[in-house]
Amino acid sequence: MLGKLLIGFWLLSLPALAATDSQWVLEQSTLSYHVAHPLHQVDGISHAGRGKGVCHDGQCDFLIAVPVKSFDSGDSNRDLHMLQVTRGAQFPLVTVRTRVPESASASATINLDLEVQFAGQTVKYRQVPFQRVSQGSKTRISGTIPAKLSDFKIDPPSLLTMPVKNDIPVSVDLTWQPM
Amino acid sequence: MLANIAHHRRACIAGLVGVCLFVILAPSLMAQGTGTLTGRLTDPSGDPVGFAMVTTTSVDTGQVLPAATGPYGIYKFSLPPGTYRLTFESPGYRMVEIPAVKISVIKPVVQNCELEDDAQTQGNITPEPAQKPAPSPSNNTTEPSLEDLGITPAQAKGDAKAQALLDRRTHMLKIHQRLGLITIAPFAATLILSATAGGRNTSSTDRDLHVLLGSVTTDLYFTSAYFAIRAPKIPGTKTRGPIRLHKTLAWIHAPGMVLTPILGEMAFAQKSRGEKVHGIATLHGPVAIATAAAFGLAVASVSFKF
Repeated sequence: MLGKLLIGFWLLSLPALAATDSQWVLEQSTLSYHVAHPLHQVDGISHAGRGKGVCHDGQCDFLIAVPVKSFDSGDSNRDLHMLQVTRGAQFPLVTVRTRVPESASASATINLDLEVQFAGQTVKYRQVPFQRVSQGSKTRISGTIPAKLSDFKIDPPSLLTMPVKNDIPVSVDLTWQPM
Repeated sequence: MLANIAHHRRACIAGLVGVCLFVILAPSLMAQGTGTLTGRLTDPSGDPVGFAMVTTTSVDTGQVLPAATGPYGIYKFSLPPGTYRLTFESPGYRMVEIPAVKISVIKPVVQNCELEDDAQTQGNITPEPAQKPAPSPSNNTTEPSLEDLGITPAQAKGDAKAQALLDRRTHMLKIHQRLGLITIAPFAATLILSATAGGRNTSSTDRDLHVLLGSVTTDLYFTSAYFAIRAPKIPGTKTRGPIRLHKTLAWIHAPGMVLTPILGEMAFAQKSRGEKVHGIATLHGPVAIATAAAFGLAVASVSFKF
């Protein structure tokens, strides 16, 4: 009798356990930076992001990492130049960390506090809005990080003596799947 | 007067040939009747600093002449006698300026230089915690770590040497770009002057000016080319995008830049003898125009997005 009761409690508590200690894995990702120059509009795209989310005690911690050299702007010379100015060989990864209350997972718009490590600098962006769409068991998150070159102490590269704009908004489109 | 012109012409041709050799043989450049300035750049540990930028500025005329050290940190200039300000620059090092170096024809001047680490640059390279110490992967109840993402510490670790290589590459290509842009001005002026230099009733002054501007164009062009050719290659990089067109066009404008002055010299000689330009020398104009077109397109290919 006692054994049956214990099994009953265990079965009842299983969904709750799953809810508190769930994990997410990044299934697909597209990150793209946009650089504006008087003569050029350049987008560098990477699909090489890796990510994981761990939920515990009502909080979910997410980590996304992308190799700097994986960004492709369609020109190898420009990519090497971007790799140089962003010190991508010295600091090969861009990482983004964020903490989300589990309760926020039901909202269509989530405002996230992001901690971005890039080019040897750590920069925090507060309350960045992201859109959340459920696709079956998967969750798709998209938004734009309002990054600036000066945030990361990067000198704006120039072409024909004209520097690029300081703003390099980074568009993020992530599809997460529960593990 | 004719003897002077002939002498001037010969000097121009010698200069052009020297420039061609310069591309192959590296920094042994320029004409005769000049003094030599040479030296070696080292870092604080005594290792050579290759591909650093060395610039001489004539204190008397203000003329600026840049060059780069070779892989062993050696640089060499052939300069008219006078006093020069000398600067040494390389990414990661503090710029060094020597305000006055006297150059004479009699004795080569050796000016070695030890570059000091740039504290600010070093600060960016080493101490900043580039990647936060990754939380140890544990029983899924802590923050995820890089190891959780399958990224090994080796993959997350930076490579200072690779960064230095990229820095040098960019540094040299920036000089290449600047010199390439500067080349456009004398190139365009040479082409414009060709209208009067090549006509039937032209004065020798027009032709001399055309030759002079053409020589300046060729000198600047090959100096610019040197920086592109000697810029460090990054292993594992496949050329793609507009830079492919930029590089391909070099196969047209580089031979053109060699052929144009040779054909020009032939045309010049024929005109100076009072003859009509004939034979292969008639190709001087078309080759120059094709060269200019390829060069212009090469500049445009990396300047504008098509």
